[in-house]
Amino acid sequence: MTEKALPAESAKTQTYIVFVVAGTSYAVPSHQVQHMEMVERVTPVPNAPRSVEGVVFSRGQVVPVINLRARFGFERTTINQRARLLVIQHGNRTVGLLTDEAREFITIADGSIQPPGDAIGNLSGGYLDGVATLGQRIVLILNIREVVESTPVAAA
Amino acid sequence: MSDRDPQFESSFMDDYFAEADEHLLAIRRCLLMLDAAQGADVPPAVLEELFRSCHSLKGISAMVELREAELLAHHMESGLRAIRQGDVALDGGNLDTLLAGANALEAVIVAKRQGVPVPSEELAIAALGALASSQVAVRRPPADAPDSIGNARGWTVTFVPSPELVARGVKVDTIRARLLEFGKIRSVTPRVQAGGGISFEFDVESGDEASLSALRTDGVSYESLPLPVSPAQADAAAAGGDPSTSPRAWEVASGAPGNFVRVDLTRLDDLMRVAGDLVVTRSRLEDTLRRVERHVPAREFRSLQEHDSLMERQLRDLREGIMRVRLVPVGEVFRRMPFVVRDLARDSGKRVQLEITGQGTEIDKFLIERMMDPILHLVRNAVGHGIETVERRVAAGKPPDGTIRLSASTVGESVIIEIADDGAGIDIAAIAQRAPAKGIRTEEGVLDSRVLLDIICASGFSTRDEADRISGRGVGMDVVRGTVQELGGTLEVATEPGRGTTFTITLPLTLAVIDAIIAHIGDQIFAVPQSAIQEIIEVDPGSLRSLEQNELLTYRGRALPIVRLGRLFHISAAARPRLHAIVVGTGLSAVGLLVDRVAGHREIVVKTIADPLIRVDGVSGATELGDGKLVLILDVAALSRSVRERRRAGERALV
Repeated sequence: MTEKALPAESAKTQTYIVFVVAGTSYAVPSHQVQHMEMVERVTPVPNAPRSVEGVVFSRGQVVPVINLRARFGFERTTINQRARLLVIQHGNRTVGLLTDEAREFITIADGSIQPPGDAIGNLSGGYLDGVATLGQRIVLILNIREVVESTPVAAA
Repeated sequence: MSDRDPQFESSFMDDYFAEADEHLLAIRRCLLMLDAAQGADVPPAVLEELFRSCHSLKGISAMVELREAELLAHHMESGLRAIRQGDVALDGGNLDTLLAGANALEAVIVAKRQGVPVPSEELAIAALGALASSQVAVRRPPADAPDSIGNARGWTVTFVPSPELVARGVKVDTIRARLLEFGKIRSVTPRVQAGGGISFEFDVESGDEASLSALRTDGVSYESLPLPVSPAQADAAAAGGDPSTSPRAWEVASGAPGNFVRVDLTRLDDLMRVAGDLVVTRSRLEDTLRRVERHVPAREFRSLQEHDSLMERQLRDLREGIMRVRLVPVGEVFRRMPFVVRDLARDSGKRVQLEITGQGTEIDKFLIERMMDPILHLVRNAVGHGIETVERRVAAGKPPDGTIRLSASTVGESVIIEIADDGAGIDIAAIAQRAPAKGIRTEEGVLDSRVLLDIICASGFSTRDEADRISGRGVGMDVVRGTVQELGGTLEVATEPGRGTTFTITLPLTLAVIDAIIAHIGDQIFAVPQSAIQEIIEVDPGSLRSLEQNELLTYRGRALPIVRLGRLFHISAAARPRLHAIVVGTGLSAVGLLVDRVAGHREIVVKTIADPLIRVDGVSGATELGDGKLVLILDVAALSRSVRERRRAGERALV
């Protein structure tokens, strides 16, 4: 019922928000990002999964914060002025992704995104949707479902 | 925007489910009344309301394309029409067919709501079909000539405009013109629908049902008025000019809900959230006031303070006002219980009377919705496990009819719901036998009721060898207790051999705002609900005694188990000469939660933690203390439970 035929050309490009984790550029489709905010203080949650930094209030809602550095297996660093929280809507869940920085809003043509090769897939543990080549740059497209749903939940 | 459509659709379905619920409730209530009347002298108003509810349910089910529900409602309607016209008697068998139909309808709608495959209800439909068509075999009134004016009847014809219809050129004027082709329009009334849309209700006189039926594809539904009207009556009504002067039977039966509005719960939540934000803003203002005190002339400052405290009172009133709007009578949940009990009693061959009191007791809408399944389960248990068979009751010198009392009352800020039966009581010996692994000692059949509850609430526990049809579906006792605790309530059980069992549920009146104690552990801050706190004591760390895995504090001549929250939560904190213990629970279940220091009392707005990533044991929610930072609220019940479990595990290890 909801599958209204989209005009053919609108399927060709999508806008993305680019963010950096441990020196690597990643991108998420902008329509999945509710908003971005600076990170002031994240309240730790006792006995939460390792990659969960804690919780924050975002627009009145209690939102878990996944530290992508920890999630991708890098060292944690102290949160500074450049750090950004990407608040993501995934299904009926709202989850914050803690990134080192996020400043860019770009348009990527579907054609310039290739499936992650085996080598790259291994690098990031399978949570990539693809690899976009933009001139000299390489941007990894994040698979949000994988990042959110495969983060181990809190032990009860 | 294409992403709006699912949202629109889901709110549309929400409206449907809400409305379907009302009709299902009405159908059940009417069927129960008919059952009580046992066919003798059936009040026409009841039959009328029943008919109308089925009809409406058919209409809205067709709109959401829930074909199975539409079909079932249609057959219910046909059966009822036959009964209403006196073609079919309303005897016990037919009533059961209708009840089965109502059950099937509910099953279909529930399945749709839960997103599981909709069951096929062919049996119920076939039975209803047989009921409706039995009139043909028995006695058929002389065949009507459909378009003879002499046989004109009154109809209520409802037209619901939609963009789709407008696109096809079908508007209210079109319908009016078409109706005039084969009938007489006595009045037209625009009506605002539950979802906010508008509909038009035509009061029509016509003998041509076939033509009416042809209009169905154009957003038209219709039902016949209770009695055939003679042209003279029609004229009289027309002359009166006001159709409302001749109220229909069902209007009398269903009461006049004119002073009520139906509000989406999320809108109230939004309002409550705004009020909660105001509380936070005001506490920031208060902090600021305190800081600027010495810079402001004393008189001016006093005036500021007065405004501030006035605002605090007004905010409290505002919050209470919103809270009151959220309160609904528990009767909404209780109303369906007679139906459940009747069904189960019949299936199990028991005789059960259900006594309901305190339907008017009010409780937060959110709470009572969550409590629906647990209450249902306890009532089912009372019929299935509690009440004995007639033979056993008579043999025990009891009246053959068992009694289940369902009651609700308000005590302070709590609502107490009791489910009591006068059955055999819980067989404690059997329980103890079934649960030897639990390390429970029963001394001469005496079992602490709290321990008993722990056993029967253990997941997967059942005293029956196999789950039977009555109690073996839906949620289990573990889920019942889990839900109650999740909502900040408690569950208790009292049982007496041969006399019966009583389950008592105590729930908070509402959830949103509570008083709390603010506690510090290392550099972290937590809020502890004040309702759970017995007292707060200062502790010299040197006075704590270690005993196996546990630390104890001698306090008022007793050993009080201590939980170091810092250790439990892995928070590093410098050693301090004095600590605070927050004592929660009473008697044997009292526990001291050890924190670095307690920093005063605050009124906090509770926000729930929904995401599984951050739902950890010992934390029940989050709040904001006015500086924008999030503070976790401790789940005191879970914390003290974990201590007791650890202690029990320790005892077991010793055995």
